[in-house]
Amino acid sequence: MGLAELLGTYGQNYLDGLLVTWGMTAVSFVFVMAIAVLVTVMRVSPFAPLRFVGDLYVQVFRNIPGVALLMIVAYALPYLRVILDWRTCAIVTTILLGSAFGSENFMSGINTIGVGQIEAARSLGLSFSQILRRIVIPQALRATVLPMTNLLIAVMLTTALGSQVPMTPEELTGVVSYVNTRSVGGILAFLVSALGYLATAFVISLAGNRIDKRVRVLR
Amino acid sequence: MTVNAEGGRPTPIIELRHVEKHYGDLHVLRDVCLEVDKGEVLVVVGPSGSGKSTMCRTINRLETIDSGEILIEGEPLPQEGKELTRMRAELGMVFQSFNLFSHMTILDNVTLGPREVLGMGREEAEAQAMELLARVGVAEQARKVPAQLSGGQQQRAAIARSLAMRPKAMMFDEPTSALDPEMINEVLDVMVELARGGMTMVVVTHEMNFARRVADRVVFMADGQIVEQAPPDRFFDHPESQRAQDFLNSIKGH
Repeated sequence: MGLAELLGTYGQNYLDGLLVTWGMTAVSFVFVMAIAVLVTVMRVSPFAPLRFVGDLYVQVFRNIPGVALLMIVAYALPYLRVILDWRTCAIVTTILLGSAFGSENFMSGINTIGVGQIEAARSLGLSFSQILRRIVIPQALRATVLPMTNLLIAVMLTTALGSQVPMTPEELTGVVSYVNTRSVGGILAFLVSALGYLATAFVISLAGNRIDKRVRVLR
Repeated sequence: MTVNAEGGRPTPIIELRHVEKHYGDLHVLRDVCLEVDKGEVLVVVGPSGSGKSTMCRTINRLETIDSGEILIEGEPLPQEGKELTRMRAELGMVFQSFNLFSHMTILDNVTLGPREVLGMGREEAEAQAMELLARVGVAEQARKVPAQLSGGQQQRAAIARSLAMRPKAMMFDEPTSALDPEMINEVLDVMVELARGGMTMVVVTHEMNFARRVADRVVFMADGQIVEQAPPDRFFDHPESQRAQDFLNSIKGH
């Protein structure tokens, strides 16, 4: 099967797959960032049990292979009467993994903020939550644009977990299986999907670099 | 002004009573007792490691103490929470390394406290900030971020940030120690102006000329203790303790 025939037959599937991948990536990343901020706030809070829970979250979800986590979410959670549809299972898995890594990015971003700035903020009479909102989180976000760009790409690639569960429409990796069970697409079927990931990642990293240049904190 | 029940003497703005502090085995503050009256300019000098910065930082509880008492206008310094943040808002603090918020413009640095803590509106806070920045001579830098300013300009902006809270007293923790020599005077000049304007100040410094010119009282610390306190002329010309004499000899010619 040549490229022309492949695209002629399955072009629409690839296009749909790309859109599904983009959609899953966008939804996942919004939650990844929100949860990463939340977990990181727990990890720097003055309240020890919260710090413990935050650290535990990161250690657990950073250290489980994506496929294993997907199995847990898809096949173990139903025993706890939590039944998610297949697409949600893949997204939840991606969010759990991504937010653990995202929190690690934030922690290193927070470490770039001098303790002196925190002391200055305390001296002005700012409360813990004001210091977080006005000093720590804005600077941590600005300091981590590039790592978060990498994370966004990783989140996109992690949504390929969706190919391991039945989904309609399929995401970009799932499309490959779909194609190869119906025709002999071979390596070419993979390459077309790979190109979709590659092009998206390229755009993401360009945008990331731009944003980083604009918001980076001068020191 | 509040007046003590016992005497006719006004309540000191800042009072330390038998303050003790350890870092592990190191006894950094030993039975420190100190009173700072309204409008007084107190300059704290002493060799490095004498505990003078630590003492300065205990006053708004950036450092905790092991025992003793710290009173602000006769009220014990709160341990935690809202009470503590309110008390901190009333005491200005200027640091050796400026500690401006590096992601904000100078203007935002100066308006943050009044807006977040005092609930001031943006317009009022910005008008006040511009006035203060003009007073310390960096108004034209208002839209820049800290990294674009010289050390001297940053420190003056940091003083403006502190003043924006309209503090009852200000602490200066070695405000010129991180500055290049040519920038020291521009910061000291601002501090002299403040002192002349009646601000209550506690200044930890190595600038002996500043101490001589501006201090109402010089406090000499060594090994975590207040060894001697005296008006500047008496302290510099006729130090009583051997430690103070040694210290003053060691810095002669600087």
